Amino acid sequence: MTRVVPFGDAAVLVVLEAADEHDPAVIRGVHRLAAAIRGLGDPDLGSPVPGATSVLVGFDPLALDPAEAEARLGPALVGASDERAGDDGLSPLVELPTRYGGTDGPDLATVAATAGLSERAVVDLHASVEYVVGFLGFAPGFAYLSAVPPAIATPRRATPRERIPAGSVGIADRRTAVYPGGTPGGWQLIGRTDTTVWDARRDPPALLTPGTRVRFVPVPVGR
Amino acid sequence: MTQPMTGRAVLEVLDGGILTTVQDGGRPDLGHLGVPLGGACDPWGLAVANLVAGNPPTAPALETTVAGLVLRVLSTALVGIGGADLGAVVRPVGQRLMPGATYRLSAGDEIAFPGPPDGRRGVRAYVALPGGLDVPIVLGSASTCLAGGFGGLDGRPLRRGDQLAARAAGPPAGPELRIGGGATDRASAQTDAPTSVHVLRGPDDEAGAALVALAGGAWRVGVEADRMGIRLDGPTLPPAGPSARPSHGVTWGTIQLPPDGRPIVLLADAQPTGGYPVVGVAISADRPILGQLRPGDPVRFVETTVEAARAALRASDDRLRAAVDELADAARWEELWHGAGG
Repeated sequence: MTRVVPFGDAAVLVVLEAADEHDPAVIRGVHRLAAAIRGLGDPDLGSPVPGATSVLVGFDPLALDPAEAEARLGPALVGASDERAGDDGLSPLVELPTRYGGTDGPDLATVAATAGLSERAVVDLHASVEYVVGFLGFAPGFAYLSAVPPAIATPRRATPRERIPAGSVGIADRRTAVYPGGTPGGWQLIGRTDTTVWDARRDPPALLTPGTRVRFVPVPVGR
Repeated sequence: MTQPMTGRAVLEVLDGGILTTVQDGGRPDLGHLGVPLGGACDPWGLAVANLVAGNPPTAPALETTVAGLVLRVLSTALVGIGGADLGAVVRPVGQRLMPGATYRLSAGDEIAFPGPPDGRRGVRAYVALPGGLDVPIVLGSASTCLAGGFGGLDGRPLRRGDQLAARAAGPPAGPELRIGGGATDRASAQTDAPTSVHVLRGPDDEAGAALVALAGGAWRVGVEADRMGIRLDGPTLPPAGPSARPSHGVTWGTIQLPPDGRPIVLLADAQPTGGYPVVGVAISADRPILGQLRPGDPVRFVETTVEAARAALRASDDRLRAAVDELADAARWEELWHGAGG
């Protein structure tokens, strides 16, 4: 079920009730909801912004108030609210060749120590699951992927790094992400990919968009 | 990703100052890709600079912050000024450049922004050229996205040696214009009184007590203030919701409450999603006010209604339309005057 709550005078938040943010079915539900809202093609509604268990929809406050915006969203909510539906199989799968450890993944040892596992076991676990992009934020192209196996879920570093190299693969609790580059960051860096996740000159500029499925494929360090 | 300028360079940067970027109306449709809205932090100031330069309200212009920008005029130029009064002056003539007006400047002139005159509020001024600044459109906008390193001039602040051209070809033909009616009063108010920011409830059911405390508190803008947001110094607020919660989309004007109890008001360059509880959301009509707050400024928050928020936005929109009409009349009058004289 969805609930629509006002978010100031120019947006409403459509929330999936009682949803587990790491459940792939929930993430696909958010993605379907955003697609359905976009599909309305309503000129007074803004581009939907997925969150972990919600979609933010801006609107033109000169044209609509929050109640009117909610009414305009109605048709999209009816069709997309069944967040327990299975995988529709339509989301693209992206494979990211990743060099784990060493200078590419300076925090792999920390993650291994925290988990009480070998570095090899951490890599195997990280690369063992298929992730889904829940939403983007923090920086252009920075996608939050769910879900890291609980055994290697590791909190952020106490002190963030000032500048993270592009392609760095990080873990923060049950999420993993690929840094687009040039930003600071506090996630535990376990590896690096040469795949470009963000290029403003590319169309589309972001490789990992909400709903995209992702696999990390270990490649030998030093190639 | 710099493309060759199609127009002749009109301005050269001698000093980029504290922070000067190219801004327009931003990128409203790319939040789902992690791209901040961006655009002018004071959209009203941007509109004023553009209107007096004969442009649409969101044409690309310079946004400069507090102090330090120095521009050299390379060829005769018509320059529109908007936003806060940052003490802009033409050297060596000494003529002051006031927000809400255009000025015709000659090759060799220098425009300096030494900082707000004593007692004046405001941090951001806008400099527009006829036709808008000639920079590449990236992802639908000329705005500089500092977080992504794209847009504007190679995604970075302006620095010494940068050259700027106008999209309108040839020497400026427009008249010098001026917007009356207090168009820039709010940005550069001379007052010790707190700036009032109007807020609506946010999405969090549990934020009621925090919102009451926010509206009852005396606040000052903290030293952590940039295009992404401003920290507020004041009483520590009660929690607005559970600290571990699913991230969701946020908007310009969203007032977040991190675990330390010190609220953050998000501005134009805020990241499009966030995980902190939301105390409330500032109304759209107050965005230009938020964009002119300076560290140390006193602020108070006033809870309002959606109806009042929309009325305030309509009033602001009407004022902009009135300014457009007024300028169109002035331009026509000037044409007639010069026509009669010639």
